[in-house]
Amino acid sequence: MSLATKAPPGHFSILYFASASSYTAKDTEHLPAPLPVSKLFDRLEEKYAGIKSRVLESCLLTVNLEYVDMPDDGSVGLVIKEGDEVAIIPPVSSG
Amino acid sequence: MESANASAAALRAKIAATEERLKLLKAQLANIEEKEAEEVEESPVTRKWPLLPDEYKRYGRQMIVPSVGIQGQLRLKDASVLIVGAGGLGCPSSAYLAGAGVGTIGIVDGDIVETSNLHRQILHNSSTVGMKKVDSIVSYLKSLNPHLKYITHPTHLTPQNAAEIVSQYELVLDCTDHPTSRYLISDTCILLQKPLVSASALRRDGQLIVLNSPPLPAGDAKGGPCYRCVFPKPPPTDSVVSCGDGGILGPVVGVMGVLQALEGIKLIVEGRLKEEQEVDGRGNTMLLFSASGSPQFRSLKMRARSSKCVACSGNAELTLEKLPGMDYAVFCGIASPIGILKPEERIEAKEYLELEQDSEKTHVLLDVREKVQFDICSLENSINIPSSSFQGTRSSSLQEGKPSWLPETVRADASIYVICRLGNDSQIVTQKLKEAGLDNNGKRAIKDIRGGLKAWKEQVNPSWPEY
Ligand SMILES: [Zn+2]
Repeated sequence: MSLATKAPPGHFSILYFASASSYTAKDTEHLPAPLPVSKLFDRLEEKYAGIKSRVLESCLLTVNLEYVDMPDDGSVGLVIKEGDEVAIIPPVSSG
Repeated sequence: MESANASAAALRAKIAATEERLKLLKAQLANIEEKEAEEVEESPVTRKWPLLPDEYKRYGRQMIVPSVGIQGQLRLKDASVLIVGAGGLGCPSSAYLAGAGVGTIGIVDGDIVETSNLHRQILHNSSTVGMKKVDSIVSYLKSLNPHLKYITHPTHLTPQNAAEIVSQYELVLDCTDHPTSRYLISDTCILLQKPLVSASALRRDGQLIVLNSPPLPAGDAKGGPCYRCVFPKPPPTDSVVSCGDGGILGPVVGVMGVLQALEGIKLIVEGRLKEEQEVDGRGNTMLLFSASGSPQFRSLKMRARSSKCVACSGNAELTLEKLPGMDYAVFCGIASPIGILKPEERIEAKEYLELEQDSEKTHVLLDVREKVQFDICSLENSINIPSSSFQGTRSSSLQEGKPSWLPETVRADASIYVICRLGNDSQIVTQKLKEAGLDNNGKRAIKDIRGGLKAWKEQVNPSWPEY
Protein backbone atom coordinates (compact mmCIF):
# COMPACT_ATOMS: atom_id res chain seq x y z
CA MET A 1 0.00 0.00 0.00
CA SER A 2 1.40 3.38 -0.91
CA LEU A 3 0.21 6.86 -0.16
CA ALA A 4 2.41 8.48 -2.72
CA THR A 5 1.24 7.31 -6.12
CA LYS A 6 1.38 10.16 -8.58
CA ALA A 7 -1.91 11.55 -9.82
CA PRO A 8 -2.67 10.99 -13.52
CA PRO A 9 -2.96 14.07 -15.76
CA GLY A 10 -5.92 16.27 -14.86
CA HIS A 11 -6.14 14.90 -11.32
CA PHE A 12 -4.95 15.62 -7.81
CA SER A 13 -4.14 13.14 -5.03
CA ILE A 14 -6.10 13.06 -1.82
CA LEU A 15 -4.76 11.32 1.27
CA TYR A 16 -7.09 10.03 3.96
CA PHE A 17 -5.70 9.71 7.47
CA ALA A 18 -7.13 7.94 10.52
CA SER A 19 -10.95 8.02 10.61
CA ALA A 20 -11.10 9.50 7.08
CA SER A 21 -9.30 6.39 5.90
CA SER A 22 -11.68 4.08 7.77
CA TYR A 23 -14.73 5.95 6.46
CA THR A 24 -13.67 5.84 2.82
CA ALA A 25 -11.94 2.45 3.16
CA LYS A 26 -9.04 4.06 1.26
CA ASP A 27 -5.66 5.54 2.08
CA THR A 28 -5.57 7.62 -1.06
CA GLU A 29 -7.28 8.24 -4.39
CA HIS A 30 -7.18 10.63 -7.33
CA LEU A 31 -9.88 13.18 -8.07
CA PRO A 32 -10.33 15.45 -11.11
CA ALA A 33 -8.58 18.83 -10.92
CA PRO A 34 -9.01 21.76 -10.78
CA LEU A 35 -11.38 21.92 -7.83
CA PRO A 36 -11.95 24.87 -5.49
CA VAL A 37 -11.46 23.81 -1.85
CA SER A 38 -14.89 25.25 -1.14
CA LYS A 39 -16.34 22.44 -3.31
CA LEU A 40 -14.16 19.66 -1.92
CA PHE A 41 -16.38 18.61 0.97
CA ASP A 42 -19.49 18.48 -1.24
CA ARG A 43 -17.62 16.39 -3.79
CA LEU A 44 -16.56 13.94 -1.08
CA GLU A 45 -20.07 13.89 0.41
CA GLU A 46 -21.39 12.73 -3.01
CA LYS A 47 -18.93 9.87 -2.98
CA TYR A 48 -19.16 8.99 0.71
CA ALA A 49 -22.57 9.85 2.10
CA GLY A 50 -22.39 11.22 5.62
CA ILE A 51 -18.64 11.89 5.58
CA LYS A 52 -19.05 15.65 5.89
CA SER A 53 -20.63 15.69 9.34
CA ARG A 54 -19.07 12.45 10.55
CA VAL A 55 -15.48 13.20 9.60
CA LEU A 56 -14.68 16.27 7.51
CA GLU A 57 -16.04 19.05 9.70
CA SER A 58 -13.62 18.33 12.51
CA CYS A 59 -10.62 17.74 10.22
CA LEU A 60 -7.52 19.65 9.38
CA LEU A 61 -7.20 20.17 5.64
CA THR A 62 -3.86 20.61 3.91
CA VAL A 63 -2.82 21.16 0.32
CA ASN A 64 0.80 20.26 -0.38
CA LEU A 65 1.43 19.97 3.39
CA GLU A 66 0.21 23.52 4.04
CA TYR A 67 -2.90 24.27 6.10
CA VAL A 68 -5.89 25.48 4.14
CA ASP A 69 -8.89 27.29 5.59
CA MET A 70 -12.32 26.43 4.34
CA PRO A 71 -13.64 29.81 3.16
CA ASP A 72 -16.54 30.74 5.44
CA ASP A 73 -17.57 33.90 3.58
CA GLY A 74 -18.98 32.17 0.51
CA SER A 75 -15.91 32.91 -1.59
CA VAL A 76 -14.25 30.27 -3.78
CA GLY A 77 -11.01 30.16 -1.80
CA LEU A 78 -7.97 28.26 -2.94
CA VAL A 79 -8.26 26.13 -6.06
CA ILE A 80 -6.74 22.64 -5.93
CA LYS A 81 -4.61 22.16 -9.04
CA GLU A 82 -3.54 19.16 -11.07
CA GLY A 83 -0.81 17.22 -9.26
CA ASP A 84 -1.54 18.76 -5.85
CA GLU A 85 -1.56 16.59 -2.76
CA VAL A 86 -4.53 17.17 -0.48
CA ALA A 87 -4.67 15.60 2.97
CA ILE A 88 -7.68 15.07 5.21
CA ILE A 89 -6.36 14.90 8.77
CA PRO A 90 -8.90 14.08 11.48
CA PRO A 91 -7.86 14.44 15.09
CA VAL A 92 -6.60 11.18 16.57
CA SER A 93 -7.30 11.29 20.28
CA SER A 94 -6.55 7.84 21.60
CA GLY A 95 -3.19 6.65 22.77
CA MET B 1 -9.75 -28.52 41.96
CA GLU B 2 -10.37 -26.87 45.31
CA SER B 3 -6.98 -27.78 46.72
CA ALA B 4 -5.29 -26.62 43.49
CA ASN B 5 -7.03 -23.27 43.90
CA ALA B 6 -5.90 -23.07 47.48
CA SER B 7 -2.27 -23.77 46.69
CA ALA B 8 -2.36 -21.27 43.79
CA ALA B 9 -3.71 -18.66 46.18
CA ALA B 10 -1.02 -19.48 48.71
CA LEU B 11 1.66 -19.15 46.06
CA ARG B 12 0.24 -15.84 44.89
CA ALA B 13 0.33 -14.51 48.43
CA LYS B 14 3.89 -15.74 48.86
CA ILE B 15 5.01 -14.08 45.62
CA ALA B 16 3.34 -10.81 46.63
CA ALA B 17 5.03 -10.88 50.03
CA THR B 18 8.42 -11.67 48.49
CA GLU B 19 8.01 -8.86 45.98
CA GLU B 20 7.13 -6.49 48.80
CA ARG B 21 10.28 -7.58 50.67
CA LEU B 22 12.36 -7.13 47.50
CA LYS B 23 11.04 -3.61 47.07
CA LEU B 24 11.99 -2.77 50.64
CA LEU B 25 15.53 -4.12 50.17
CA LYS B 26 15.94 -2.16 46.93
CA ALA B 27 14.78 1.03 48.62
CA GLN B 28 17.27 0.46 51.46
CA LEU B 29 20.08 -0.08 48.97
CA ALA B 30 19.17 3.05 47.02
CA ASN B 31 19.22 4.99 50.27
CA ILE B 32 22.69 3.80 51.17
CA GLU B 33 24.00 4.47 47.67
CA GLU B 34 22.65 7.98 47.72
CA LYS B 35 24.30 8.67 51.09
CA GLU B 36 27.58 7.27 49.79
CA ALA B 37 27.39 9.59 46.81
CA GLU B 38 26.68 12.57 49.02
CA GLU B 39 29.62 11.74 51.25
CA VAL B 40 31.97 11.61 48.29
CA GLU B 41 30.61 14.92 47.14
CA GLU B 42 31.06 16.56 50.53
CA SER B 43 34.60 15.39 51.16
CA PRO B 44 36.85 18.47 51.42
CA VAL B 45 39.54 17.28 49.00
CA THR B 46 37.10 16.76 46.12
CA ARG B 47 35.71 19.60 44.10
CA LYS B 48 31.98 20.14 44.27
CA TRP B 49 30.66 18.90 40.97
CA PRO B 50 27.15 19.71 39.85
CA LEU B 51 26.31 16.06 39.15
CA LEU B 52 26.88 12.89 41.16
CA PRO B 53 29.61 10.50 39.95
CA ASP B 54 26.97 8.01 38.87
CA GLU B 55 25.19 10.72 36.91
CA TYR B 56 28.30 11.55 34.88
CA LYS B 57 28.52 7.90 33.93
CA ARG B 58 24.80 7.50 33.42
CA TYR B 59 24.30 10.54 31.20
CA GLY B 60 27.74 10.61 29.59
CA ARG B 61 26.64 9.26 26.22
CA GLN B 62 23.99 11.94 25.88
CA MET B 63 26.03 14.77 27.42
CA ILE B 64 28.72 14.40 24.76
CA VAL B 65 26.13 15.06 22.06
CA PRO B 66 27.03 18.65 21.13
CA SER B 67 23.47 20.00 21.36
CA VAL B 68 23.13 18.69 24.94
CA GLY B 69 26.40 19.21 26.80
CA ILE B 70 26.68 19.81 30.53
CA GLN B 71 24.36 22.80 30.22
CA GLY B 72 21.64 20.69 28.64
CA GLN B 73 22.10 18.00 31.27
CA LEU B 74 21.76 20.52 34.10
CA ARG B 75 18.63 21.89 32.47
CA LEU B 76 17.22 18.35 32.38
CA LYS B 77 18.07 17.93 36.07
CA ASP B 78 16.28 21.17 36.91
CA ALA B 79 13.26 20.43 34.75
CA SER B 80 9.90 19.14 35.88
CA VAL B 81 7.61 17.34 33.45
CA LEU B 82 4.04 16.18 33.90
CA ILE B 83 2.97 13.09 31.99
CA VAL B 84 -0.80 12.81 31.75
CA GLY B 85 -1.66 9.18 31.08
CA ALA B 86 0.43 6.15 32.07
CA GLY B 87 -0.52 4.07 29.04
CA GLY B 88 0.83 3.34 25.57
CA LEU B 89 2.29 6.84 25.15
CA GLY B 90 3.12 7.56 28.79
CA CYS B 91 5.18 4.39 29.21
CA PRO B 92 7.78 5.00 26.50
CA SER B 93 7.85 8.77 26.95
CA SER B 94 8.35 8.59 30.71
CA ALA B 95 11.02 5.89 30.34
CA TYR B 96 13.09 8.08 28.01
CA LEU B 97 12.61 11.19 30.13
CA ALA B 98 13.65 9.30 33.25
CA GLY B 99 16.57 7.75 31.40
CA ALA B 100 17.65 11.21 30.25
CA GLY B 101 17.59 12.56 33.80
CA VAL B 102 14.60 14.90 33.96
CA GLY B 103 14.77 15.92 37.62
CA THR B 104 11.08 15.75 38.50
CA ILE B 105 8.57 13.55 36.73
CA GLY B 106 4.88 13.61 37.63
CA ILE B 107 2.43 11.00 36.38
CA VAL B 108 -1.34 11.39 36.30
CA ASP B 109 -3.56 8.36 35.77
CA GLY B 110 -6.57 6.97 37.60
CA ASP B 111 -6.57 3.56 35.95
CA ILE B 112 -5.49 0.08 36.97
CA VAL B 113 -3.15 -2.08 34.87
CA GLU B 114 -5.03 -4.66 32.79
CA THR B 115 -3.75 -7.61 30.80
CA SER B 116 -5.03 -6.01 27.57
CA ASN B 117 -2.62 -3.10 28.18
CA LEU B 118 0.55 -5.15 28.17
CA HIS B 119 1.18 -5.49 24.44
CA ARG B 120 1.89 -1.77 24.24
CA GLN B 121 2.20 -0.27 27.72
CA ILE B 122 5.71 -1.51 28.11
CA LEU B 123 6.51 -0.38 31.65
CA HIS B 124 3.72 -2.45 33.13
CA ASN B 125 4.09 -6.21 33.28
CA SER B 126 2.16 -9.37 34.08
CA SER B 127 2.94 -9.08 37.78
CA THR B 128 1.65 -5.49 38.02
CA VAL B 129 -1.78 -6.30 36.57
CA GLY B 130 -4.32 -4.99 39.07
CA MET B 131 -1.95 -2.34 40.42
CA LYS B 132 -2.55 1.39 39.96
CA LYS B 133 -0.88 2.42 36.71
CA VAL B 134 0.92 5.31 38.40
CA ASP B 135 2.47 2.94 40.96
CA SER B 136 3.38 0.34 38.37
CA ILE B 137 5.06 2.91 36.12
CA VAL B 138 6.94 4.61 38.97
CA SER B 139 8.26 1.31 40.30
CA TYR B 140 9.75 0.70 36.84
CA LEU B 141 11.11 4.26 36.54
CA LYS B 142 12.71 4.12 40.01
CA SER B 143 14.59 0.99 39.09
CA LEU B 144 15.64 2.64 35.82
CA ASN B 145 16.83 5.85 37.44
CA PRO B 146 16.81 6.27 41.24
CA HIS B 147 18.20 9.83 41.14
CA LEU B 148 14.95 11.50 40.15
CA LYS B 149 11.92 12.74 42.02
CA TYR B 150 8.72 10.96 41.02
CA ILE B 151 5.31 12.30 41.93
CA THR B 152 2.18 10.21 41.42
CA HIS B 153 -1.30 11.64 40.92
CA PRO B 154 -3.55 8.55 41.06
CA THR B 155 -6.55 10.31 39.55
CA HIS B 156 -7.96 11.36 36.21
CA LEU B 157 -7.25 14.93 35.24
CA THR B 158 -10.47 16.95 35.66
CA PRO B 159 -11.38 20.61 35.18
CA GLN B 160 -11.37 20.83 38.99
CA ASN B 161 -7.89 19.42 39.65
CA ALA B 162 -6.11 20.29 36.38
CA ALA B 163 -4.76 23.74 37.32
CA GLU B 164 -3.53 22.57 40.71
CA ILE B 165 -1.67 19.60 39.24
CA VAL B 166 -0.32 21.21 36.06
CA SER B 167 0.93 24.31 37.91
CA GLN B 168 3.56 22.17 39.71
CA TYR B 169 5.40 21.45 36.44
CA GLU B 170 7.15 23.28 33.61
CA LEU B 171 6.26 21.03 30.68
CA VAL B 172 3.26 18.78 29.96
CA LEU B 173 3.05 15.64 27.84
CA ASP B 174 -0.47 14.71 26.77
CA CYS B 175 -0.49 10.92 26.72
CA THR B 176 -4.25 10.55 27.19
CA ASP B 177 -6.81 8.78 25.09
CA HIS B 178 -9.88 10.96 24.69
CA PRO B 179 -10.91 14.30 23.09
CA THR B 180 -12.21 15.63 26.42
CA SER B 181 -8.81 15.31 28.10
CA ARG B 182 -7.02 16.68 25.04
CA TYR B 183 -9.04 19.93 25.14
CA LEU B 184 -8.81 20.15 28.94
CA ILE B 185 -5.03 19.75 28.96
CA SER B 186 -4.56 22.24 26.14
CA ASP B 187 -6.77 24.85 27.84
CA THR B 188 -4.97 24.38 31.16
CA CYS B 189 -1.57 24.74 29.49
CA ILE B 190 -2.66 27.98 27.83
CA LEU B 191 -3.96 29.39 31.12
CA LEU B 192 -0.81 28.43 33.03
CA GLN B 193 1.57 29.15 30.14
CA LYS B 194 3.06 25.68 29.94
CA PRO B 195 4.35 24.22 26.67
CA LEU B 196 2.57 21.02 25.68
CA VAL B 197 3.72 18.02 23.66
CA SER B 198 0.67 16.15 22.47
CA ALA B 199 0.80 12.69 20.89
CA SER B 200 -1.85 10.19 19.90
CA ALA B 201 -2.17 6.88 18.10
CA LEU B 202 -4.83 4.55 16.78
CA ARG B 203 -4.52 1.37 14.72
CA ARG B 204 -1.60 2.23 12.41
CA ASP B 205 -1.72 6.05 12.60
CA GLY B 206 -0.12 8.53 14.94
CA GLN B 207 0.04 12.29 15.41
CA LEU B 208 2.52 14.47 17.27
CA ILE B 209 2.19 18.20 17.86
CA VAL B 210 4.15 20.63 20.00
CA LEU B 211 1.61 23.16 21.25
CA ASN B 212 1.78 26.48 23.08
CA SER B 213 5.48 26.84 22.36
CA PRO B 214 6.52 29.50 23.09
CA PRO B 215 4.07 29.49 26.01
CA LEU B 216 2.98 33.11 25.84
CA PRO B 217 -0.21 34.49 27.43
CA ALA B 218 -3.48 34.23 25.50
CA GLY B 219 -3.75 37.08 23.04
CA ASP B 220 -0.04 37.20 22.28
CA ALA B 221 0.10 36.23 18.62
CA LYS B 222 3.75 35.16 18.94
CA GLY B 223 2.79 32.28 21.22
CA GLY B 224 2.50 28.77 19.80
CA PRO B 225 -0.94 27.54 18.71
CA CYS B 226 -3.04 25.41 21.03
CA TYR B 227 -5.03 22.21 20.38
CA ARG B 228 -8.16 24.26 19.70
CA CYS B 229 -6.33 26.31 17.04
CA VAL B 230 -5.60 23.07 15.18
CA PHE B 231 -8.84 21.20 15.89
CA PRO B 232 -11.48 23.79 16.88
CA LYS B 233 -14.35 21.36 16.46
CA PRO B 234 -14.33 18.01 18.28
CA PRO B 235 -15.27 14.97 16.20
CA PRO B 236 -18.83 13.66 16.64
CA THR B 237 -18.88 11.65 19.83
CA ASP B 238 -20.08 8.40 18.28
CA SER B 239 -17.27 8.57 15.71
CA VAL B 240 -14.55 8.65 18.37
CA VAL B 241 -12.81 5.30 18.37
CA SER B 242 -10.74 4.14 21.32
CA CYS B 243 -7.83 1.71 21.20
CA GLY B 244 -10.12 -0.79 22.92
CA ASP B 245 -12.60 -0.61 20.06
CA GLY B 246 -10.42 0.22 17.07
CA GLY B 247 -7.26 -1.59 18.00
CA ILE B 248 -3.68 -0.36 18.20
CA LEU B 249 -0.32 -1.76 17.21
CA GLY B 250 2.20 -1.55 20.06
CA PRO B 251 5.07 -0.13 18.01
CA VAL B 252 2.80 2.56 16.52
CA VAL B 253 1.90 4.06 19.88
CA GLY B 254 5.45 3.29 21.03
CA VAL B 255 7.07 5.32 18.28
CA MET B 256 4.76 8.24 19.03
CA GLY B 257 5.64 8.12 22.74
CA VAL B 258 9.35 7.97 21.97
CA LEU B 259 9.05 10.96 19.64
CA GLN B 260 7.09 12.79 22.31
CA ALA B 261 9.96 12.28 24.76
CA LEU B 262 12.38 13.53 22.11
CA GLU B 263 10.40 16.75 21.61
CA GLY B 264 10.27 17.21 25.38
CA ILE B 265 14.03 16.71 25.75
CA LYS B 266 14.67 19.15 22.89
CA LEU B 267 12.50 21.83 24.52
CA ILE B 268 14.33 21.37 27.83
CA VAL B 269 17.95 21.22 26.66
CA GLU B 270 17.47 24.13 24.27
CA GLY B 271 16.12 26.19 27.15
CA ARG B 272 12.76 26.75 25.48
CA LEU B 273 10.45 25.99 28.40
CA LYS B 274 10.23 29.58 29.43
CA GLU B 275 8.98 32.34 27.21
CA GLU B 276 11.98 34.63 27.64
CA GLN B 277 14.32 31.95 26.37
CA GLU B 278 12.39 31.37 23.19
CA VAL B 279 14.31 31.56 19.95
CA ASP B 280 12.18 33.59 17.60
CA GLY B 281 10.94 32.39 14.24
CA ARG B 282 11.14 28.69 15.01
CA GLY B 283 8.26 26.99 13.28
CA ASN B 284 6.46 24.18 15.01
CA THR B 285 5.35 21.20 13.01
CA MET B 286 2.76 18.51 13.23
CA LEU B 287 4.12 15.08 12.53
CA LEU B 288 1.88 12.44 11.00
CA PHE B 289 2.86 8.81 11.15
CA SER B 290 1.17 6.13 9.12
CA ALA B 291 2.59 2.62 9.42
CA SER B 292 1.30 1.65 5.97
CA GLY B 293 2.16 4.94 4.29
CA SER B 294 4.91 5.80 1.93
CA PRO B 295 6.50 7.91 3.27
CA GLN B 296 5.59 6.79 6.79
CA PHE B 297 6.25 10.26 8.19
CA ARG B 298 4.84 13.54 6.97
CA SER B 299 5.51 16.88 8.56
CA LEU B 300 3.10 19.81 8.36
CA LYS B 301 4.19 23.30 9.15
CA MET B 302 2.02 24.67 11.94
CA ARG B 303 0.47 28.06 11.66
CA ALA B 304 0.38 30.85 14.20
CA ARG B 305 -2.37 31.00 16.80
CA SER B 306 -5.82 31.33 15.32
CA SER B 307 -7.31 34.80 15.76
CA LYS B 308 -10.66 33.10 16.43
CA CYS B 309 -9.41 30.62 19.03
CA VAL B 310 -11.58 30.57 22.14
CA ALA B 311 -8.60 29.57 24.31
CA CYS B 312 -5.49 31.42 23.17
CA SER B 313 -6.52 34.39 21.01
CA GLY B 314 -7.10 37.97 22.11
CA ASN B 315 -10.84 37.23 22.13
CA ALA B 316 -10.46 34.18 24.37
CA GLU B 317 -12.95 34.02 27.20
CA LEU B 318 -11.27 31.20 29.06
CA THR B 319 -9.94 32.01 32.54
CA LEU B 320 -8.53 30.01 35.43
CA GLU B 321 -11.62 30.94 37.42
CA LYS B 322 -13.90 29.50 34.74
CA LEU B 323 -11.90 26.32 34.17
CA PRO B 324 -13.38 24.22 37.03
CA GLY B 325 -16.86 24.94 35.69
CA MET B 326 -16.08 23.91 32.12
CA ASP B 327 -17.94 20.85 30.90
CA TYR B 328 -15.70 19.12 28.38
CA ALA B 329 -18.08 16.20 28.10
CA VAL B 330 -20.78 18.54 26.85
CA PHE B 331 -18.35 20.35 24.54
CA CYS B 332 -17.27 17.04 23.02
CA GLY B 333 -20.88 15.86 22.98
CA ILE B 334 -20.45 12.83 25.19
CA ALA B 335 -23.68 10.93 24.99
CA SER B 336 -25.00 8.82 27.79
CA PRO B 337 -24.69 5.07 27.18
CA ILE B 338 -26.57 4.19 24.04
CA GLY B 339 -30.17 3.31 24.73
CA ILE B 340 -32.07 4.05 21.57
CA LEU B 341 -34.32 1.00 21.53
CA LYS B 342 -37.48 0.17 23.43
CA PRO B 343 -37.27 -2.76 25.90
CA GLU B 344 -39.34 -4.97 23.59
CA GLU B 345 -36.83 -4.40 20.78
CA ARG B 346 -34.10 -6.12 22.78
CA ILE B 347 -33.55 -9.56 24.24
CA GLU B 348 -31.10 -10.96 26.78
CA ALA B 349 -28.31 -13.28 25.67
CA LYS B 350 -29.78 -16.18 27.67
CA GLU B 351 -33.18 -15.68 26.00
CA TYR B 352 -31.46 -15.90 22.63
CA LEU B 353 -29.89 -19.21 23.70
CA GLU B 354 -33.37 -20.69 24.12
CA LEU B 355 -34.35 -19.48 20.66
CA GLU B 356 -31.18 -20.82 19.15
CA GLN B 357 -31.89 -24.26 20.57
CA ASP B 358 -35.38 -24.17 19.11
CA SER B 359 -35.33 -26.68 16.26
CA GLU B 360 -37.36 -24.52 13.92
CA LYS B 361 -34.43 -22.15 13.34
CA THR B 362 -36.58 -19.50 11.81
CA HIS B 363 -34.26 -16.65 12.52
CA VAL B 364 -31.07 -14.95 11.36
CA LEU B 365 -28.25 -14.00 13.72
CA LEU B 366 -26.46 -10.92 12.42
CA ASP B 367 -23.04 -10.19 13.93
CA VAL B 368 -22.11 -6.57 13.16
CA ARG B 369 -18.54 -6.58 14.45
CA GLU B 370 -15.76 -5.81 11.97
CA LYS B 371 -14.65 -8.88 10.03
CA VAL B 372 -11.27 -8.96 11.78
CA GLN B 373 -13.05 -9.43 15.11
CA PHE B 374 -15.54 -11.92 13.68
CA ASP B 375 -12.59 -14.01 12.48
CA ILE B 376 -11.21 -14.23 16.02
CA CYS B 377 -14.35 -15.88 17.34
CA SER B 378 -17.98 -16.08 16.25
CA LEU B 379 -21.22 -17.81 17.14
CA GLU B 380 -22.36 -20.73 15.03
CA ASN B 381 -24.57 -19.87 12.07
CA SER B 382 -24.08 -16.13 12.50
CA ILE B 383 -23.78 -13.87 9.49
CA ASN B 384 -21.13 -11.14 9.61
CA ILE B 385 -22.05 -7.73 8.18
CA PRO B 386 -19.91 -5.07 9.88
CA SER B 387 -21.79 -2.10 11.32
CA SER B 388 -19.57 0.21 9.25
CA SER B 389 -21.21 -1.14 6.09
CA PHE B 390 -24.54 0.27 7.27
CA GLN B 391 -23.05 3.78 7.27
CA GLY B 392 -24.31 6.31 4.76
CA THR B 393 -27.61 6.53 3.01
CA ARG B 394 -26.61 4.64 -0.12
CA SER B 395 -25.38 1.63 1.81
CA SER B 396 -25.96 -1.58 -0.13
CA SER B 397 -26.41 -3.41 3.16
CA LEU B 398 -29.72 -1.59 3.57
CA GLN B 399 -31.32 -2.15 0.17
CA GLU B 400 -35.08 -1.88 0.07
CA GLY B 401 -36.88 -5.17 0.31
CA LYS B 402 -34.29 -7.86 0.65
CA PRO B 403 -30.63 -7.01 1.11
CA SER B 404 -28.08 -9.34 -0.47
CA TRP B 405 -26.72 -10.57 2.85
CA LEU B 406 -30.05 -12.12 3.84
CA PRO B 407 -29.94 -15.79 2.76
CA GLU B 408 -32.41 -16.76 0.02
CA THR B 409 -33.83 -19.55 2.14
CA VAL B 410 -34.86 -17.23 4.95
CA ARG B 411 -38.59 -16.55 5.14
CA ALA B 412 -39.86 -12.99 4.97
CA ASP B 413 -41.12 -13.21 8.54
CA ALA B 414 -38.00 -14.84 10.02
CA SER B 415 -36.71 -12.80 12.94
CA ILE B 416 -33.37 -11.03 12.81
CA TYR B 417 -31.22 -10.84 15.96
CA VAL B 418 -28.36 -8.39 15.96
CA ILE B 419 -25.26 -8.85 18.09
CA CYS B 420 -21.91 -7.07 18.47
CA ARG B 421 -19.04 -7.00 20.96
CA LEU B 422 -20.51 -4.83 23.72
CA GLY B 423 -24.05 -4.10 22.60
CA ASN B 424 -23.81 -0.54 21.25
CA ASP B 425 -23.33 -0.96 17.50
CA SER B 426 -25.98 -3.68 17.47
CA GLN B 427 -28.59 -1.18 18.70
CA ILE B 428 -27.71 1.29 15.98
CA VAL B 429 -27.88 -1.39 13.30
CA THR B 430 -31.18 -2.73 14.68
CA GLN B 431 -32.65 0.73 14.34
CA LYS B 432 -31.25 1.20 10.83
CA LEU B 433 -32.68 -2.11 9.67
CA LYS B 434 -36.09 -1.06 10.96
CA GLU B 435 -35.84 2.36 9.37
CA ALA B 436 -34.97 0.68 6.07
CA GLY B 437 -38.22 -1.28 6.29
CA LEU B 438 -36.71 -4.72 6.80
CA ASP B 439 -39.29 -5.46 9.49
CA ASN B 440 -41.96 -5.79 6.77
CA ASN B 441 -44.33 -3.49 8.62
CA GLY B 442 -43.92 -5.41 11.85
CA LYS B 443 -44.27 -8.91 10.37
CA ARG B 444 -40.59 -9.57 10.99
CA ALA B 445 -39.11 -9.08 14.46
CA ILE B 446 -35.73 -7.35 14.53
CA LYS B 447 -34.10 -7.38 17.95
CA ASP B 448 -30.87 -6.36 19.57
CA ILE B 449 -29.10 -8.81 21.87
CA ARG B 450 -28.52 -6.69 24.94
CA GLY B 451 -24.91 -6.39 26.04
CA GLY B 452 -23.53 -8.22 23.00
CA LEU B 453 -21.02 -11.02 23.18
CA LYS B 454 -19.82 -9.76 26.54
CA ALA B 455 -23.25 -10.66 27.92
CA TRP B 456 -23.10 -13.96 26.02
CA LYS B 457 -19.94 -14.81 27.94
CA GLU B 458 -21.45 -13.75 31.26
CA GLN B 459 -24.85 -15.40 30.82
CA VAL B 460 -24.32 -18.34 28.51
CA ASN B 461 -20.80 -19.45 27.74
CA PRO B 462 -17.98 -18.61 30.18
CA SER B 463 -15.41 -20.09 27.80
CA TRP B 464 -16.17 -17.48 25.13
CA PRO B 465 -12.79 -15.81 24.41
CA GLU B 466 -12.81 -12.23 25.61
CA TYR B 467 -10.35 -10.17 23.56
ZN1 LIG C 1 -5.69 28.32 20.33
